[in-house]
Amino acid sequence: MMFKKLIPPKQWQPVVAALIGAIVGLAIYTAYNARVGSYLSDDPTTCVNCHVMTPEFESWKHSSHREVATCNDCHVPHTSVFAKYGFKAKDGLYHSYVYTTRSEPQVIRMHEAGQEVVQANCIRCHGDQVTDAKTVAMVPDNYKHRTDRQCWECHRETPHGRVKSLSSVGLGIEQLPVQYNKKLIVPEWLKDALSK
Amino acid sequence: MSSKLKNWLLFIATCLVVILLAMLGSNITERKSESQFAYQPQVKITEFEPRNEVWGENFPRQYQSFMKTKEMNFSTMLNGNQEKDILEDSPELVVLWAGYGFSKDYNAPRGHGYAIKDIRETLRTGGPTGPGTGPMPSTCWTCKSPDVPRLMNEIGISEFYAGKWADKGAEIVNPIGCADCHDNKTMALKISRPALIEAFESMGKDINDASHQEMRSLVCAQCHVEYYFNKKEPKKGVPYLTFPWANGMTVEGAEKYYDDMNFSDWTHSMSKTPMLKAQHPGYETYQQGIHAKRGVSCADCHMPYKTEGGQKFTDHHIQSPLANPANSCQVCHRQEEKELIENVYSNQRKVKERTKRLEKILVRTHVEAKKAWDLGATEAQMKPILMDIRHAQWRWDYAVASHGGSFHAPVEISRIVTTATDKAQEARIKLARLLADLGYDKEVPYPAIETKAKAQKYIGLDMPKLEKEKKTFEKNIIPKWLEQAKAREAKYPTESVSSK
Repeated sequence: MMFKKLIPPKQWQPVVAALIGAIVGLAIYTAYNARVGSYLSDDPTTCVNCHVMTPEFESWKHSSHREVATCNDCHVPHTSVFAKYGFKAKDGLYHSYVYTTRSEPQVIRMHEAGQEVVQANCIRCHGDQVTDAKTVAMVPDNYKHRTDRQCWECHRETPHGRVKSLSSVGLGIEQLPVQYNKKLIVPEWLKDALSK
Repeated sequence: MSSKLKNWLLFIATCLVVILLAMLGSNITERKSESQFAYQPQVKITEFEPRNEVWGENFPRQYQSFMKTKEMNFSTMLNGNQEKDILEDSPELVVLWAGYGFSKDYNAPRGHGYAIKDIRETLRTGGPTGPGTGPMPSTCWTCKSPDVPRLMNEIGISEFYAGKWADKGAEIVNPIGCADCHDNKTMALKISRPALIEAFESMGKDINDASHQEMRSLVCAQCHVEYYFNKKEPKKGVPYLTFPWANGMTVEGAEKYYDDMNFSDWTHSMSKTPMLKAQHPGYETYQQGIHAKRGVSCADCHMPYKTEGGQKFTDHHIQSPLANPANSCQVCHRQEEKELIENVYSNQRKVKERTKRLEKILVRTHVEAKKAWDLGATEAQMKPILMDIRHAQWRWDYAVASHGGSFHAPVEISRIVTTATDKAQEARIKLARLLADLGYDKEVPYPAIETKAKAQKYIGLDMPKLEKEKKTFEKNIIPKWLEQAKAREAKYPTESVSSK
């Protein structure tokens, strides 16, 4: 009954359809422009869609972690698929709000939820190093010290380093993640010249 | 509520939705374009832009550090960034290279910024008096400048290699720089010379499979390698730049490669040996060392990352890592700077001790072979001896011409020097027997070659003439080249990127 009420009188239907089409079209365009689809992936280049993240991306890319861990390996939970995408959605909506309203701080810090996730992820991969039976037996207070601090209280340079302000990477044109584009190794002109 | 009011409200709500969506859309576009200005491009860099200063406008930090390759203020135990006269240091080399350009002039290499100046000034390129003159082929320009890929694209690869060195002097004027290693749009590392691609093919590999880390060495390997000029293929008569890698990147692999095709760079003027000149197998030698095995690239040590006011970038002041151990060595090695440098020197001293000794032995082989020829030795008698001399000197040259080889792969270089000594002594034993057969059983005296001048006189070089030719060339030809180049480059479009 309610639904029927929403249908406009016959003579208005074409106009209303056109208007709704315009709104939906505009929404699709906005989604495309914002590369909404890329947020479903684990590709680190997605995180530099928003260039505020360039210092984090650059410092990760120059770290040893780049070979083994992407942004999502550390920054979203890996307990279940629902936890992962739920967290991504929650975090992502917050980020897009901050970014759109230009309220990003000069120095970006993780919120508590994010810190818990990263800490859990450090241990997820480095579990063997932090639960070594030998050190537990040999080092007094090992268990306590292992559990009352976060990994990066000591490992401060891992993987992003200490330079975290928005201006820390200025000339880093590498925000275009070009090294993945392997075709560039031999430029087109040289390929052509060699095939002659 | 009247239906009129309802319609108005609906109209306003729709307007609001559209306005908000449009604002969001425009905001996204705006914020996307912002990232373009995280780095501020001043000019549009075209695909073949050879002028480093144009790239430098967009990348001031990289450019300014690159400009420091012109500094001449640092020396290590063996090298550094100064133009050191190696022949003065070791006059033996004059005799070893008798009949070949290197006996005229051989300096320790300076920084990339001097690439063009040094090739113009060395006596090895002689004193051309115009197009088509002079001792060297056009191929000698290949590694010197980002003008090379530009010109290769314009006229073709074989056409580039064809002709004399002097033919292209007006075209090639910018020293090694940005376009040699970087893509103009993305700044990604790229290969700009054909020889490395072809060498990979000859080994059955595809260079397109190279990782980013490998590329940080491969861009260097375009030039810092052993190479030769193939005049038979792919075009007869054209000295085509080729790497002898088909049998692998070892000293023996290349030796077999050259022996199989019966190649020689020149014939020694005293011993009549068909000789091989090792160029600078830096990349191949590095491959044999521990740093390569651990995945450390050339750039990791020679172009370490540095920061300036919180900005992190690659130091384009390409130089000996010993000038900057804090950023190169100590990133991985926690020892004291002094201790690290002493470790390098200790390896180098040990290798140097053996090569110095070997050089003297090699001089003797050439002198003794000449004596045998003078006493009427036949070609058949000399053939096995000359083969030993060829292999011995090739290995010695390979060991010493790979600058930094005694650091990059000390054990491999020691092995090469040892096998070279072995071959040289083998030649001398055969020579002793032959000389005795020819009726000469005394020691062939070691020549008086205490200085470069004495050694050059001994092998019969007319140095004053060569120097005079060079002076005339520098006075008459180079200014013309510069003028032509200036006129050409003035026509290059330099489109500035306005930020309106």
